[in-house]
Amino acid sequence: MTASLAWLAWLLASLIILLSTRNPLLLVVFLSLLLALGIRLSAPPDRKRWLGQNLRFIGTMILLSALINFIFTHTGATRLFSLPKDWFLIGGPFTLESLVYGGINGLVISSLYLTFTLLNKALSIQQLTRLIPNAFYPLTLITTISLTFFPSIQERTRQIKEAQMIRGNPMEKLTDWIPILIPLMVTSLENAIQLSESMTARGFQANKGSRKPSAGLAILILATFLVFAGWVLSLFNYPLWISWGLYLIAAVSLALLLSAQSRAIQITHLHQDRWEKTDVFATSTFTLVFLVLLGLILGQKTAFLSYSPYPALAFPTLPPAAWLLGLVPGLPILLRPHDHRD
Amino acid sequence: MITATDLFFQYPQSASPILKGASFSIQPGSLTLIAGASGSGKSTLLRCFNGLVPHFTGGEIGGKLEVLGKDPIRLGPEQMAAWISLVFQEPETQFVYDQVDEEIAFALEQTGLPRSEMQARVDSACQFLGLDGLQSRRIATLSGGEKQRVAIAGALVTQPKILILDEPTSQLDPQGADEILRYILDLRQKLDLTILISEHRLERVLPYADRVAWLPGDGSVHEGPPQEILPLLEQVPPSVQIAKQLDLSPIPTRPEDFPRVQVNKSGPELTAGPNPAIFPVESLSATNLAVTLGNREILKQVSFRLGQGELLTLMGANGAGKTTLLRAVLGLVPSQGARMIMGEHIENASLNALIRQVAYLPQNPNDLLFADSVLDEMNVTLANHDLSLPPDEIQQHLARFGLSKLTAAYPRDLSVGERQRVALAAITIYDPPILFLDEPTRGLDYGSKRELVKLLKKWQKRDKSILVVTHDVEFAALLADTVLVLDQGQVAYHGAPGPLFTQSPVYQTQTAKIFPGTGWYRPADIDPAQISLSENG
Amino acid sequence: MKLRLQSLLINSFVFLLGILSLLAPFVVPQARTSTFSSTSFPVMVSLIVVLCVLILLFEAQSTLLNAKLIAFLGVLIALNAGLRFLEIAIPGPAGFSPVFFLIILTGYYFGGRMGFLMGAMTMLVSGLLTGGVGPWLPGQMITAGWVGQSAGFLRFIFRKLNFAGNPVEIIFLAIFSAIWGMLYGAIMNLWFWPFLAGAPGQTWFQGASLAENFGRYLTYYLATSVVWDVTRSVGNVLVVSFFARPVLQIFDRFNRRFSFQIVKEGEPL
Repeated sequence: MTASLAWLAWLLASLIILLSTRNPLLLVVFLSLLLALGIRLSAPPDRKRWLGQNLRFIGTMILLSALINFIFTHTGATRLFSLPKDWFLIGGPFTLESLVYGGINGLVISSLYLTFTLLNKALSIQQLTRLIPNAFYPLTLITTISLTFFPSIQERTRQIKEAQMIRGNPMEKLTDWIPILIPLMVTSLENAIQLSESMTARGFQANKGSRKPSAGLAILILATFLVFAGWVLSLFNYPLWISWGLYLIAAVSLALLLSAQSRAIQITHLHQDRWEKTDVFATSTFTLVFLVLLGLILGQKTAFLSYSPYPALAFPTLPPAAWLLGLVPGLPILLRPHDHRD
Repeated sequence: MITATDLFFQYPQSASPILKGASFSIQPGSLTLIAGASGSGKSTLLRCFNGLVPHFTGGEIGGKLEVLGKDPIRLGPEQMAAWISLVFQEPETQFVYDQVDEEIAFALEQTGLPRSEMQARVDSACQFLGLDGLQSRRIATLSGGEKQRVAIAGALVTQPKILILDEPTSQLDPQGADEILRYILDLRQKLDLTILISEHRLERVLPYADRVAWLPGDGSVHEGPPQEILPLLEQVPPSVQIAKQLDLSPIPTRPEDFPRVQVNKSGPELTAGPNPAIFPVESLSATNLAVTLGNREILKQVSFRLGQGELLTLMGANGAGKTTLLRAVLGLVPSQGARMIMGEHIENASLNALIRQVAYLPQNPNDLLFADSVLDEMNVTLANHDLSLPPDEIQQHLARFGLSKLTAAYPRDLSVGERQRVALAAITIYDPPILFLDEPTRGLDYGSKRELVKLLKKWQKRDKSILVVTHDVEFAALLADTVLVLDQGQVAYHGAPGPLFTQSPVYQTQTAKIFPGTGWYRPADIDPAQISLSENG
Repeated sequence: MKLRLQSLLINSFVFLLGILSLLAPFVVPQARTSTFSSTSFPVMVSLIVVLCVLILLFEAQSTLLNAKLIAFLGVLIALNAGLRFLEIAIPGPAGFSPVFFLIILTGYYFGGRMGFLMGAMTMLVSGLLTGGVGPWLPGQMITAGWVGQSAGFLRFIFRKLNFAGNPVEIIFLAIFSAIWGMLYGAIMNLWFWPFLAGAPGQTWFQGASLAENFGRYLTYYLATSVVWDVTRSVGNVLVVSFFARPVLQIFDRFNRRFSFQIVKEGEPL
C-alpha cells in the first residue's frame, strides 16, 4: 500500500472515526494501532526512539488537557474540592468527571496529531508535492525547486561560515552573521537566475493556460461562500439537507474548476503512483468505512459510539462492532506500506 | 544551420556592445568549438541561438540571425526549445526536480507529452548518457560529472537538432570532464546532431572539433576549420603554443600528433624527493596527520612540510582527502598527529590564533565577498583582525593584485578572475606568512590563469609560503616547488615536480608528452637550440 | 488599479470569512448548543481555511509571470526554510527562528502578492520537510501569508511618505515585525482553539458567557504561547534592525537584473 490516494482514503476514514467518538476504549485501541503502524513505518533502528518520543507526547497531551479541563470546567457529580465561586474562571467545584473528560480530549487530540504524522511518514515528500493540483502548477514548481535547492543550503552555509571565520570573523555577535547571510543570499539568487534560464531554455512558459484566471477565482470564491453559508445555516439549526445541498454544489463546482484548469495548463507528469492490489483493496475499504460512518452521522445513529463522563462517571461500554472501528487505522500494517526507497 | 549576419547585441546598463558586426555560419552536423577569453561574449552568442538573448536578458539586438530557417529573436526561447537545447556551466544550479528521471522529463512535461511516450524518451536519453540504473536516484547524491550528464540528458530528451553546451566541464574535475566529453563524442556518433561547445581548456575539445568559432573580444566572430583559426588565437594550450614556437603547420591538436622531435641533449637533472635545503626555514609542518570521520579513514598518516618562500601544490583525485587535509591543518576537523606553524605546536591552538599566520582562499571566492566595494572588503578583514592600515598601504596592496582601478567597484559585479583577485587581496591584507588556495583555477580562462601564476610568484618572492590544492596539471607545473599527491588519504608522491610531471601517466604535462626523455615539462623549459625536427614525422 | 481593487476585495472577503469562522463560538450562541455542530466545528473551520488559502494562492499566483519569479521565490523559500534550522544566537528563553524576516522583506520590496506567496509557501515547504503536513498547515500558511501581504501595504504607505532608504524605514519595519511576532502567535492559537474546544458534551464554551469564554481564551493564550511570542517579537526586531538594510540592497541589485527591456537596434528606446 504505497499509493497516495490509498493513504488519503486511510486519512479520511481515520479522521471520521476520531471525530465521531469520545469512547475512551475505542480511542485507546485506535491510538495503539496508530503507534503500531508508526513502528512499522519507521526504519528498524529508529523504532525505539520514535515510540518513546510519541508516548511522551501523548502522555503530555493527556495530562495537560486533563488539567486544563479540571481547572476550568466545574460540572460533574463527583466533587473533589471547591474554590470560592466568585474567583474568575477557576472558581467552583473541581470534579473527577471534568478531569476524565479532559483526559479523553487529550486522547482525541494526540490521535489526530499522530494520524497526520503517519501520513507524512507513509508518503514521500515527492508524493505529497504531486498531490498539489495542476491548476497550481507554478506553485508546484516553486515547491519542487525549494525542495531541490534546500539540501545544499546547510552545506553552503557551513562553507561560507568557515571561510569567513578563517578570514577572522569571530562569530560572536548577531551582526557577525551578515558576512554569512549576504554571500549565501547573493549566490542563491544568482543560482535562481541560472535556474530560470535553464527552465526557459527547456520550453517552460509561466502563463500557459491561465487565460481566464478571474473566472476560476470567481468559482473558487463562490464555492467557499457556499460552504460557509451551509455551515452557518446548520449552526442556526436550519434543516441539514440545505447545508448538505450547498456543500455538494460547492464540491462539484470545485472539482469541475480544478479539472478544467488542469486540462488548460497542458502539463503531464512523468510519475504516477503504481497501483497494486493492496492499494485497490485499501482504497475501497477505507472509502467504505468513511461512507458508512458518514451515513450514520447524518442519520444521527452514532449513539452506540458515544460516551460521556457527565453527569456522573461510569465505566464506558463498547459494542463488538465498534471495536472493529478501532482496528481500522492499523490495516496498512498488513498491506506492505513501505516502498523501501529511503 | 545557423547563419548570422551583422549580429549586434548590447546588454542593458552596459556601456558597449558585446557582439558587433558578427557574421558567420555554423555547419550542419559539425562539432564547433567556441573559443575566446572570459567576457568575450561566448555565453552571450550561444544564448542568441535559442532566443534567451534578448528574451531572457533584455538589451538591444540588431542584425539578422537564422537558426534552422527560423528567427529566434522573434520566436523566443520557449518555442526554440523544440529544436535547440542548451546545457549550462554549473551542474548544481539547473535542476528543478531532485530526482534524476523527473528532472530529465522536465522539458517534456512542458509539451504535455503522454506519459508512456515520455517514459520511453527519458529511458532512451538515460541510455545515451549511461544513466541506466540511476533514474530514481536523488540528484544531490550524484557526482559532478553524473549531474552534468543528467543535464545533457534533460536537453536531449526533446530530440533537438542542435545541442549547445556552455562550458559544460569548467566546474568539473578532470575525471568528470573526460567523462562528459566522452559522452558528447559518443552522442555525435549515434545521433544526427549539430554540437556547439564553448570551453576554456581548448586542449580538451580541440582534438575532436571540426570547426572553431573564435571571439576575439571586439564583438566579431571568426569561424573556420581549426587550422585556419588556431594561428589567430592569443590564448592557447601549451601544445599549440609549442607548435607555434616550432612553426609547425598544420598545427597538431594533440601531443600525440606532433612529429617526432629530436632533442640533442637530455634535460636538466631530475631530483626526486623533497629537498628541504632549498627552503631551510620551516613555516608549516604536519607529521602523521590522520583524520577519521565516522568509521571512514579520510587521511592516513600524512606528513609534509612547507618551507618559508616555498610553493607546494597538493594534488590527487576527487575524494583523495585534499580539502580535508587543509581543514585538518587548521583544526576544523578533529585529527591525530603533530601540526606545527613557525616552529610551534598548534594541536591545541584556537582558530583565532592560527589565522594570524594563515590565510585561506575557498574554492568559491564568492563565499568571501559581501561588502559594497573592493576597498570595504579590505577593511572588513582588517577590522576582523583589529588592525588598521594607512590608505596608501592599502592602495599598495591593491596594486599588487592589479585592483588599483577597481577600488570603488562592487565586487560581485566583477569578472570571475577579478573577483578571485579581490578575495585574495582581502584575505592577505594583514600580510600573513602562509596562504592556502583551494582549486583556484576553476572556471578561469588562460589569461586569468597566467595572471594568477604571476601574482602567486610575486607573493612567494616576499618570503611567503603557499599551499595550492589543484587538479590542473599545467597550472601546477608552472608553479610548484614541491608536489604532494594524495591517493585515498595516503601520500602517493611527495617531492620535486620534475619526475612527477615528466613520468607519471596521470600527471604528465603536454610539454613532457611532446618532448619525452628531455626532462622538460613547462613550455619555458624548452630550449629551441637543442631541437631538430625530423621531417617525416 | 482594477487589479489592485479586485485583490483588495478578495482579501477582505477571505479575511472576513476567516475571522467569522474563528469567532463563531464566541458570537453565534447556537454554535454552542447542538452536539453535531460542535463535533463538526473543527472540521468545518479547517475546511473553510483550506478554501481560503486556495483562493488567496490562486489569486496571488497570477503574479508569477515568468520563470525568473518562480525560480526566485523557490530559492528564497528554500533559504528561508534553511534559516529555520540555523541556530542563530539570539538571547531569549525560547527558541527563535528568523523565518518572518525574509517574508516581511519580500512583501515589503516586491509587493503583497509576492509577500503572500513567500509566507504561505515557506510554511508549506517547511511542513513538507519536517513532516508537518496536517490540519494546522493551512492556518500557518494563511497567517504567514498575511504577514507578507501586509508588508506589501507597508511599502505602499512608505512610498507615499518617501521613507525608502531612510533609517525611519528600518525602524518602522522593526516595529511592524514586532507586532507580527505577537499577532502570529495569537492567530495561530485561534486556529488551534477549535481543536481543543470543539467537542460534544460539556465543552469549554457551552453555556458560558462571551466574557467568560474570552477570559478562557486569554488564559489559554497566556499559558501556552506568550513566552514564545515575546521571544519571536524580540528576535524579529533584532534581525530586522541588523539585516534588513543589506538584504534590501541585495533586492535592489537583483530587481534591476529581473526587470528589463528588449530593443531592436535602430528603434527608439
